[in-house]
Parts: sequence; C-alpha cells; structure tokens
Amino acid sequence: MNLAFELKNVKFDYEGIPAVQGLSMQIAQGERIVLLGANGSGKSTLLRLLDGLCFPTAGSLEFAGRQLTEKSLQNETSAFEFRRRVGLVFQNPDVQLFNPTVFDEVAYGPLQLGWSREEVLRRVDEMLAFMSLANIKDRPPFRLSGGEKKKVALASVLVLDPEVLLLDEPTATLDPRSQSQIVDLIQQWKGTAKTVITATHQLEIVEDIADRLFVLEAGSVIASGTPHEILSNGELLLRANLVHAHRHSHGGVVHSHPHLHGHSHHDHDHEH
Amino acid sequence: MAKALVSERTAAKPGLLQALDPRVRLIGLLVLVISVILCRRLEAIAALWLLAVVIAIASRVSMATLALRVWLLVFVFTGLIAFPAIFLTPGDAILSFANLSASAQGLRTAALLILRVETAATLTTILVLCTPWTHILKSLRNLGVPVEVIAILAMTHRYIFLLVDTASQMFEARQSRAIGRVNTSEQRNLTSRTAGVLLGKSIELSHEVYAAMVSRGFRGEVRLLTDFRMRFRDYCALAIFFCAAGFAVWMGR
Amino acid sequence: MHIPDGYLSPSTCATLYAAACASWYAALKRIKRSIGGRTIPLISVFAAFCFVVMMFNIPLPGGTTGHAVGVAVAAIVLGPWASVLALSITITIQALFFGDGGITTLGANCFNMAVVGSFVAYGVYRLIAARSDVSSQRRTIAAAIAGYVAINASALLASVEFGIQPLLFHDSTGTPLYAPYPLRVAIPAMMIGHLTFAGLAEAVLSAGMIAYLQHANVGLLRQSQSASASTSTSRLWWVIAVLMLLTPLGILAAGTAWGEWTARDLANSHASPVIEAASKSQLPPGSVPAGIERLSTIWTAPFPAYAPTFIKLPSDIRCRPCLVSACVRCCRWQAPPFFASAGSRTREPYQLHRENAQPLRASDGESARI
Repeated sequence: MNLAFELKNVKFDYEGIPAVQGLSMQIAQGERIVLLGANGSGKSTLLRLLDGLCFPTAGSLEFAGRQLTEKSLQNETSAFEFRRRVGLVFQNPDVQLFNPTVFDEVAYGPLQLGWSREEVLRRVDEMLAFMSLANIKDRPPFRLSGGEKKKVALASVLVLDPEVLLLDEPTATLDPRSQSQIVDLIQQWKGTAKTVITATHQLEIVEDIADRLFVLEAGSVIASGTPHEILSNGELLLRANLVHAHRHSHGGVVHSHPHLHGHSHHDHDHEH
Repeated sequence: MAKALVSERTAAKPGLLQALDPRVRLIGLLVLVISVILCRRLEAIAALWLLAVVIAIASRVSMATLALRVWLLVFVFTGLIAFPAIFLTPGDAILSFANLSASAQGLRTAALLILRVETAATLTTILVLCTPWTHILKSLRNLGVPVEVIAILAMTHRYIFLLVDTASQMFEARQSRAIGRVNTSEQRNLTSRTAGVLLGKSIELSHEVYAAMVSRGFRGEVRLLTDFRMRFRDYCALAIFFCAAGFAVWMGR
Repeated sequence: MHIPDGYLSPSTCATLYAAACASWYAALKRIKRSIGGRTIPLISVFAAFCFVVMMFNIPLPGGTTGHAVGVAVAAIVLGPWASVLALSITITIQALFFGDGGITTLGANCFNMAVVGSFVAYGVYRLIAARSDVSSQRRTIAAAIAGYVAINASALLASVEFGIQPLLFHDSTGTPLYAPYPLRVAIPAMMIGHLTFAGLAEAVLSAGMIAYLQHANVGLLRQSQSASASTSTSRLWWVIAVLMLLTPLGILAAGTAWGEWTARDLANSHASPVIEAASKSQLPPGSVPAGIERLSTIWTAPFPAYAPTFIKLPSDIRCRPCLVSACVRCCRWQAPPFFASAGSRTREPYQLHRENAQPLRASDGESARI
C-alpha cells in the first residue's frame, strides 16, 4: 500500500498557541478521507501542513515517502513537483481568486509551473469546459456568485491534475444545488488513484465523500473510523461539537440526546 | 464601481478602437494626450478635441456617457478653478465692472486650461472604456513595465472591489445599530475604528493570498500570458496616431 | 490633490516623471532585496486599502468633513519604500481607471503624494516617536503629526508646481499656458484647504489607526519598528533631502548672486543698475575688464543658467541661485549613499505560518472574514 501521507507526532504552534498537538496518521493513496471537526479544531491547520504552506514545529511529516520540510521545498524542481502533485482549495474563495479574470485564474498554476503556452491554453480550455465555466471565462471575480467562485477555485487547482486534493470546507456557504455538484465531483474520484482529503463540519455530506473519518478536537485526533462507525456515535459527535444536544421534556422528565439525522433512533421509555 | 460595468459593455462593441491591438490603442491615445499638453494654441487643441470625439463616435462610445462623465464634470470643476484667472491675469483689459477687469490673456488662459483638461480627459476615458482592464495591464507589460508592478496593479484592482464591499458592509452594520444622532467625535472614532478593522483584514487577506499563490507554484517570479499580435492595420493606425499628434504639435507651436 | 492633465507643462511633467521613476526603481530594488515575493500581495492589499481610505469622509471638529490619503499609516506600517510603491499603485489605478488625476501628471502626483508624502511621514514619525514604547501614546501623537506634515508637504509641493507654471511657461502675449496662478495665489489657495481640512483628516485617521493597531495588533507595529532605530546620520540625510526638495525655489530668487557675473552681464547696460544695487551702490566698471574678457571664452557650459534650452526663462531674472548649485553638488556626491543607508535594514515582518489567526477583535464584535 502506497502511503500518500504519513504523520508522526506532528505538532504545530502558532505564536505560542498549539494548533496541532501530537498528531499521528497514515493516509494511503487513493483514499478519500474526511477531517471532521468544529471551527478551531485544527483541521485547516492540518491541511496547510499537508500542503507545505507551514511546517511542523515538532514531529515528522512525509509525503510519498519523503520528508516534507522547508528545506526540501527550496529547490525549484522539487518545489514545482510537489505543487503539481498536491493541491489545496481554500475555504474562502476570495483568497484564491486573485487574478483579474476566471481564465487568468485557472491559467495561473500552469503558468507558474512553467508549462508551454500551447499546453496552458489547451488545458485551461479543457478544464473550463469540464466545469461548465467556459461562458464566464472573461469575467472578473467580483462578478461571480458564491457557487461560481468555488467552482473556479476548484478548477484552478484541478487544472494541474494533482494526485492529492485537499479541500477546506468545500460546501460551506453554498446553496443546495452547488453543494451537490461539488459532492458529485468528489464522488467521481472514488476508486481512482486520487487521494482526497476534505475538512468539513457538515455531517450530511460526509457519508458520500469519505472512506475514512478522523474526528479532531483542539488539535488532536480523538477518533477515527468508517463513516458509519463515527456518525452513529452520538456522544462522540456531541463532544466534538459537531452536533447539538436536543432536549425535550415529557411531563417533568427531561430527555437529552444528540440531534442526529437518521443515524440513530432514540427509544426511551417514559412514564407519565 | 459602475464605471467598471460600462467599460465591459463598450469594450465588447465592434468599433474603431476595439479593432486595434490594445498596445496600439494605449500608445496612440497616450501620444495624443502628450500632444495636447505640448500644443500652445487653442485652435490646435480644439482640433485634437474634435479628433477625440470622432474616434469616440467611431468606437461606439456613448456620447451621453462622455458628456455626463467627462465634459460636464471637467467644465464645472476646471471652470471653477479657472474662472478667477480671467480677472487675475495681468494683460489687456477687455471688460471691466466694479474693480475687476477681465483681460484677454485671462480669457485665453482659462480657455486653454479648460480645453486641455477636457481633451485629455476625453482621450483617457475613451481608452479605458474601449479596453478591458486586463488588456491595459498586459499592454503595459509589453511596453516594459516590470512584471512585479503589473502583478501588483492587477491584484490591487481586484481587491479594491472586495475591500469596498467590506467597508460598506461595516458602515451599514454600524448604521443599523445606531439609535439617535451620533455626535461628530463618536463618528470620528467610528470611522477610525472601521478603518482600523479594515486594515487588519487587509493584512490578514494579504497573508492568505500569499499562501494561495505559493500553493499553486509561486516562487517570487510572476509569469503572465500575453497573446497580442500586431497586424498591418495596427501599424497603420499607429502611424496615423503619430502623424496626427505631430501635426497638431507643429500647428500649435 | 490629484493634478489632472493640462495643468502642468511638458517639461514639468517630464522632470517629475523622471524623479518618480527614479524613486520607483529604487523602491523596487529595495523591496526585492528585503522580502521577496511576499510583498506583492501585501503591497497590493495596502494599495487597495489606501484607495478605500481615500473614499472615506472623515468627520472633523467643527462639523466639516475631509478626505485622508492614508500615507502616514502606509509609511509607518510598511516602511517608506513599500509605501512609495503602494501609494503609487493606488494613484495609478485612480488615474487610469477612475479618471482621478491625469496620465501626463501621474509622475507628478506620485512624486508629491507617494514619494515625498511617504518619506516625510516616515521621517517625522521616527523623529517624534524615537525609541518610545510601541504602545505608548507618544506614537499615536507622532502618527498624527506625521500625517499632518506629510499631507501639507505634498500639498506645498503641488502648489509650487502649479505656481511656477505661469512664471516659466507663457506665450509672447503673457498668457499663461498651463496653470494660470502664480505662487502668491497658488500656495495660499492650496495650503488653506490642506492646513485645515485635509491635514486634520489625515491626522485623525493616522492617530486613530495607530491607536487601533496598538490595541488590536501590537505585533504588527512591533514588526515594522524592528528596523533599526534611526541614527543621527540618517536624520542628517532627511534634512538634506528636505533641502534638496526646496531648492527649485531658488529659481525664483530675484536679483543676482554677487560676483558671479559673466563678461556678457558686465557689458549689458540693463544689468548695471542691478549690479550697482547688489554692490552697495558702487557703480560697475564702464567696460568689461580685459582679464575677464579673455578668460570668459575658455569654456561654454551645456546648461547655462542651470536650465535646459527648452525652458524659456523670463529674461529679467538671472538664474544663478546658489541653492541650486549646492543642490547639484549634493546630488552628485551624496545621493547614492543616502539612498543606500535610508533603507538598508532587513525586515522579516510577515511570516507565512498563520493559521486560524484570530480575527482581529473589533470592539463591537465584527469578525466576518472577507
């Protein structure tokens, strides 16, 4: 089994505050992983560590069997290779859309990596057609809707055909139709060699897009397993602040249980 | 912000300027602006203004837009500035009432100023209306402006809209929470604090954008895709621009 | 303060463009050396920020409002060189895209506001804040004064540029060809508005923002101050820089510099009263002394009277200002070390490792991320 990523006891501090604490995990190639956690649980930090945008203050992080450190990315060839093989779609698309038009945005990655002009034009046109963005390719980012922005952000990363795709809250703030479009896309990669690691706190989409789940809280993994295992564990989800507790009372007796959708039935005997 | 929309509409129309290479448009109109500044005679500047109007009509630029956005505004503002000069400039008096006398030189100088500003503003506006912003940037790149400057220009332009939106949202949020009148010193505080928060967000944004750039392979060098090709008619147009400018300067010396 | 096309003559525009280009070149070199690619998004966002600031209407004491530029904030947080670039970008976009300010006068506008404004703001701030604690009130006051002085310096420069137009550029009938008001009108007209509204607005904004940063993001201020404290030599350079900027005023000095007359001047009957007046009423010799006559033809200067031939000077003012000559000598020998020392610190203020960075806590709870 080829490992895409291997983390051993990774720690990351930001200005003295620990954001990731003693994290260890193995992610195989072709797996679809979901990092489940509330805001502030460290999942965005973890994605950045995996994308080589920041580096662990302790512990080791390996990508495809090689250590990922600041030094290893200093050499231009290895840096370009890494950037092509791993792509991160940021949570806030405005951050990722910094070029004047949609076309320029999608062409940015290939241009930076030094592809030839013809290659760049060809791949960009293909990607725009694939994501149905061809009719807005000359539009500036401030004239795009939320869903369009997310699609452009995704396209600008996919155009490089990365082996590993890191998605930070891909469906947050999207309307249902755009949300299902993104989910469909991720489902397409099931069984392919593409490794997809998604960070989200939206439980509804998790079953469709994950082979394995990691639940994070305060920078550590508190549980891991298949979607079914995790999603039926109400107490765990409550603890990780992924669901709220639902209370109702009958005749003076208060019942409290995690508010889950269709994953557990709550039978309770009550006396009147 | 509305100006941005008008630009896209006009830039898509099939007109004279739109048919030319953006670099030719940029150089040609700039050369004309420079000749406006070099001319010393009213007649030559007026001729250049007429030329600008002709180009505008041929490029399907709406006269209403030009009249409202450029001519009226310039006339009012520059007119206000230039008006006292009619009386203050020493020279041959042609009209006097009270203690003030209008001199011929004063009239001429006011006319020169207003006409110059009008013509230059018309030419610049036509350029911007007929050329998408990205083409202007890429033409500048072709003409030797350093690539980092182009990258900064592009990014700044893009983020101006974002920050303006954020700022107006912040102001609206404050308005909706204010009850009764707010006195000026509180308003002052509010404005500085809004500006402060905006600054913080701006800096935050810049860090994130840098991360996004690095994530897609940025290593300090900016690479752009430029795909302009000069055709025969572009060279002709360029020659015509230079001739017109040169003629005007010669006539107006 | 954005000068439109048509107010300044071609030679004024060209000179100021040259000055601006030199500054841009120096700034780019410096930025590349110190921080590298990170500065691109930082300068862009700051330039966008200054653009938005210029749109704010700042309420002032007395019920009026004014517009600020943000030059002091930019200079303090980014440092003078990056601030030059950021503001120049803002001014360029305003000119190209929004028609605020001309294209031929872009060099002038950038020089006045971005270059002079940034350096004056930075210099004044460092002078007043000196080594005081980053969160002290002295810094806030320093920022306010820096903003006020910088705006007025820019305005003064612009008004001088306006004011010398009718003097230097008019046609044969005396009609001014460009800006029509002489210095004695242009300077008060522009300065009144800036000494009051605009200057105050800038002071209020600068103070407010530095105070806010002290409260919400002291780290940022600390990082920008981690550059070496200004030494006494760099203060000297600032003084010289200010003097250099003021030297064009020498062109306007009436009369002559004593003892610097050429053979032609001595032979000129119109010049005799002037020479007499300058010489404590001693009459000059009736004819040119033989020695002066003989040696006067040894060397012909390419720029007689410190002006290229395309600038036609009014013939009744002889242009041999001592200040200008001092300026030229200064420039030749001291400009390179000046530019080198003023920005030779390295800074690494902006780390990449930021994650879940706490949104800056506005006191009324705004934390919407953009």
